[in-house]
Amino acid sequence: MSYLAKSPWLIHYDGSSCNGCDIEVLACLTPMYDVERFGIINTGNPKHADILAITGSVNEQNIPIIKNIYDQMLEPKVVIAIGICATSGGIFRECYNVQGGVDQVIPVDVYIPGCAARPESIIDGVVKGLGVLEEKYKKYGKKR
Amino acid sequence: MSKRTIIPFGPQHPVLPEPIHLDLVLEDEKVVQAIPRIGYVHRGLEKLVEKQEYANMVYVAERICGICSFIHAQTCSQAIEDLLPIEVPERALYLRTIWAEMSRTHSHLLWLGLMADAFGFEALFMHCWRLREKILDMVEDTAGGRVIFGSCKVGGVRVDIEDAKLKDIVIQYNDLEKEIKEITDVFVEDYSVKHRLVDVGVMSKEDAHVLGAVGPTMRGSGVAKDMRTLGYAAYKYLKFEPVVETAGDCYARTKVRIREVFQSIDLIRQAVAQIPGGPIAVKVTGNPTGSSFQCVEQARGDVAYYLKANGTKNLERFRVRTPTFANIPPLLKMLGGCELADVPVIVLSIDPCISCTER
Amino acid sequence: MAFLKLAGTVTKRMGMKSACYMYPVVAREFTKTTRGHVELDSADCIYCGLCQRKCPTKAIEVNRQEKNWTIQPLRCIVCSGCVDVCPKKCLRMENTYSSSVTSKF
Repeated sequence: MSYLAKSPWLIHYDGSSCNGCDIEVLACLTPMYDVERFGIINTGNPKHADILAITGSVNEQNIPIIKNIYDQMLEPKVVIAIGICATSGGIFRECYNVQGGVDQVIPVDVYIPGCAARPESIIDGVVKGLGVLEEKYKKYGKKR
Repeated sequence: MSKRTIIPFGPQHPVLPEPIHLDLVLEDEKVVQAIPRIGYVHRGLEKLVEKQEYANMVYVAERICGICSFIHAQTCSQAIEDLLPIEVPERALYLRTIWAEMSRTHSHLLWLGLMADAFGFEALFMHCWRLREKILDMVEDTAGGRVIFGSCKVGGVRVDIEDAKLKDIVIQYNDLEKEIKEITDVFVEDYSVKHRLVDVGVMSKEDAHVLGAVGPTMRGSGVAKDMRTLGYAAYKYLKFEPVVETAGDCYARTKVRIREVFQSIDLIRQAVAQIPGGPIAVKVTGNPTGSSFQCVEQARGDVAYYLKANGTKNLERFRVRTPTFANIPPLLKMLGGCELADVPVIVLSIDPCISCTER
Repeated sequence: MAFLKLAGTVTKRMGMKSACYMYPVVAREFTKTTRGHVELDSADCIYCGLCQRKCPTKAIEVNRQEKNWTIQPLRCIVCSGCVDVCPKKCLRMENTYSSSVTSKF
């Protein structure tokens, strides 16, 4: 972990999640899990962020917002779907207002299962996302 | 007359972990009016009763909100048990009470942390959440999940807590109580914290009544109403008084929640001391009929469940009125006439849970 | 007074070790009750399909003819409802979570 070459900043958007995964994402930032050790910061500004973490499924209302945040982020970017609702819709898959997972709207790079996803699982997923980010850098022919 | 401006607030905003949109109508720096727009988290889970069996609705209810998850499951189970009807063993009632109070302590610590974050005291936020993790570890040790407990089912509870473990919980809470006291003293006594909270977002007792506030928001305005006094689960065997503060500002609401943390710890101690032995669940047979209305005190206020059944394995109607939904009209009243910089603090002071509100 | 209190707090904190679990460096020990993922002991399974019917997210698929039991980890909400209903008690809840994946299929 100590060889992370980049300090990825993360923006978190709550789709229609139940707060469970949300709170676990926040818990990752607090002293017990403390992802700031690795330089990961939760930012509120899409233009500062490398990683978009989405919890919860998508519905009619938040499709334009998720697209908006995604478009504002600079390339290369990684999308992480946290929790079962974000990956497949979960228990709410059959609800009338739920479209399904986040991959219905924007391309998703890492899926983190779990209901609610554990902080350990989220940290693992973000590390996996960093690998994807590295590859995208190479694809863009950028030096870091 | 000065110029009016409208500032959109949310749905993606750094202080809000959840999406709610407020249009703030400003006159200079004063908020004249706040117009909410909700629906970003609406899933329509009440209609799921057509597809899920009644026993599975407990899982759905548990996932209405990830913070009061256990109390949602408890209320849903209570309502279905009322419809069937079945008698739940006493030990299960006590275990439900213990888990519900654990859930209340972790929810209030979470809220205190978010509040500290909203008025810009980052270190306090981190300390609150550090203590909250210890409660979550206890929950995981007993129930099996961290935020989604998953230990409640129709007819009782799913897992038993051994007596040794129950004693251990009390010992851990005794240690935790001292640490919580240390950080809550900062909320109550610190000069700069008081400066941000006292006389901000004042709501009178009459307003609280008329606008239908619930939970700590209402008790902060001097109305002694606590659904736990109805005596559901094991509360009828425990001794407690509703926590009331009279000032009606953000400081009073913070104090109510701080005192409720200690009250919950005391309730856990009482419950562990009196818990009887015996089975933890009864077998559930048959299908529910009739209708049931249940009111239960959550960390944020009282939640009301209305369930209607027609004798098939699917329920006919599943209606949930959650505490934040009732607290939005009082919030709009509090926002009128406040400074723009106080908006995050006031919005947080009702402990908004948007995923509850919209389901 | 305030200075003394501050000095007391600082000295107390200096003696304490870090609160952090140091997660990726130090592996996390899960409790016995932790719900992580569902496992099947296929030797005892009679492929009755009760778990499939009870699953609230339809994550489990049982094929009686081909004697096949599959679970989609990206649909399972780890409610342990299937473990409760299993008549042969051959389903069990493991306490390690299922890992994240980069593609759905």
